[in-house]
Amino acid sequence: MDKVFCIITGVILLALVICSLFIGKYPLSAEGIITNQGIQRKVFWTLRFSRTIMSVWGGFCLGITGFTFQTIFRNPLSSPDIIGVSSGASAGAAAGILFFSGSLYVTLSAFLGAFGAVIVTLLLASLDNSGRNNSIVLSGIAVHALAQTVLMALKLTADPEKELASIEYWIMGGLNNISLYDMKIPAVICIISMLMLFMFHRQVLLLSADSAEAKMLGVDVKKMQFIILLISTLAVACTISLTGLISFIGLLAPHTARLLTKNNRRTTMVLSGLMGSVILSLADIFARSAASTELPVSIFTSLIGAPFLIYLISRRRNAV
Amino acid sequence: MSFFAVNNLSAGYNGRNILNNISFQTENGSIVGVLGTNGSGKTTLLKAICSIINHTGSCILENKDISSLKPKKLASICAYIPQRSGIDIDISLLDVVCMGFNSRIGIFQQPTSEMKKQALNALNKVGLSQRADENYRSLSEGQKQLCIVARTLVSNARLFLLDEPESALDINYRYKIMALFGTMVKEQNSCVITALHDPNLALQWCDRLILLKNGEISDIIEPKKDCIIKMEKALSNLYGAVALTVCKDHLGNEHYVLLNQSEEFLCSLK
Repeated sequence: MDKVFCIITGVILLALVICSLFIGKYPLSAEGIITNQGIQRKVFWTLRFSRTIMSVWGGFCLGITGFTFQTIFRNPLSSPDIIGVSSGASAGAAAGILFFSGSLYVTLSAFLGAFGAVIVTLLLASLDNSGRNNSIVLSGIAVHALAQTVLMALKLTADPEKELASIEYWIMGGLNNISLYDMKIPAVICIISMLMLFMFHRQVLLLSADSAEAKMLGVDVKKMQFIILLISTLAVACTISLTGLISFIGLLAPHTARLLTKNNRRTTMVLSGLMGSVILSLADIFARSAASTELPVSIFTSLIGAPFLIYLISRRRNAV
Repeated sequence: MSFFAVNNLSAGYNGRNILNNISFQTENGSIVGVLGTNGSGKTTLLKAICSIINHTGSCILENKDISSLKPKKLASICAYIPQRSGIDIDISLLDVVCMGFNSRIGIFQQPTSEMKKQALNALNKVGLSQRADENYRSLSEGQKQLCIVARTLVSNARLFLLDEPESALDINYRYKIMALFGTMVKEQNSCVITALHDPNLALQWCDRLILLKNGEISDIIEPKKDCIIKMEKALSNLYGAVALTVCKDHLGNEHYVLLNQSEEFLCSLK
């Protein structure tokens, strides 16, 4: 049954990919692309194709990492944000916008910000020898606060006309202005990270037991947690350094997948990724076609995510 | 040389010692019970033996100090059942039991079909094979405990540490589980050390009982060897006023029964 859900979601994703390639301000047709009418082929390859790939890949990555975080922390609201990835990326991107020029440098500094924040979180957590999961969460909260302070300080020094607007726009997230050229290295890192997370799936499940229990099942808890969180962070940092912050997909996709399969098997992990791709592709199609100007994609992911969060809370209350 | 020996073990939490200089030995093929009142250090003792908490002293299993072993090696020779499992995700019973094979397979490997058969067999032993594909979270606390027992059964460990495995079980399963471990230790020549709250269960199934009081061993008794007066005295020292008596079941088998003795009765004797 799990595989059937994966196939159906895959088919929906394929349909959305086709829609994503042809929906937008500039009308495209298959014939026009093949015969290269006007600038159709150029629009197709430089704008539509890259952002469609990005929405599929970005959603998949956020779905898989959301699944991993929620399982490891045994917390249905966990996502990479809780260990400081997003706030680190925002501070990094702001520094990139202020001190360097060019989108490549912004991407690079956002990646370094995200990755640096998680390294600091994990190092702080390693100071606590009790082996409790919440030491990582608490360290994440501290790093998040620190990164927010850095971000505020950077915003204060930014030129309100140009730099501040760029920072705010980056934080709102979006899939425009992403070229295939920018995606090459992050895509390779992301694919490798995703493959490794699939391979570590059994260890992720073992870490869902408490740390003493996991240790007595033969898991080197601290080491394994560090490796898996690092791989997840690498994937998320690669994605959001290109797209900016995208809310709720890491939360929404795994829950939708679990609601369907009622388990945490590897197929559910794949389904979480596919759900993430579907949600982000759908949100991106709306973001570029709902208004005369392009809207931030997070508006649409939040529009779906916030009611879903309320549903989750009410479901848990009813369960008690 | 004994099968398993604990020497001068001290352990505690946040710098405060709960256990002081605990030493005892166990033989293979035996069940050792740990009895004590709440807060006497039963769980701490089990957690210290398997190095879940820091401790001083040594724990020697078949001439090897298990304190310094890496988790995978430790899990291959020592299995542990906590009072309550921390698993709180949607996962099938079969997958939970297959977690017990982790020490025998590589990080990226999946349990083989033969292992899955063994897992089903273990679930059958605890009466849950019909529910192998059901969600672990849908089980009652007692059934969850049985599932964790099944996971322990497949581990092929030499030493089993059980922290009040009977606490969530009904009377039938309490005895069934102890019988299961009793058969297993004899067949595999292994050893079970179990913290128990029910002294009657302990007196029936354990070869040796370690009585813990205020973090120290107050007595060690052997129900199959020691006289009833000695055992009653040792248990009274632990629980206060108790009476130990023998009664027969319908098959004529004798069992020890520990009864709580009212203080008024003891006063009237004086």
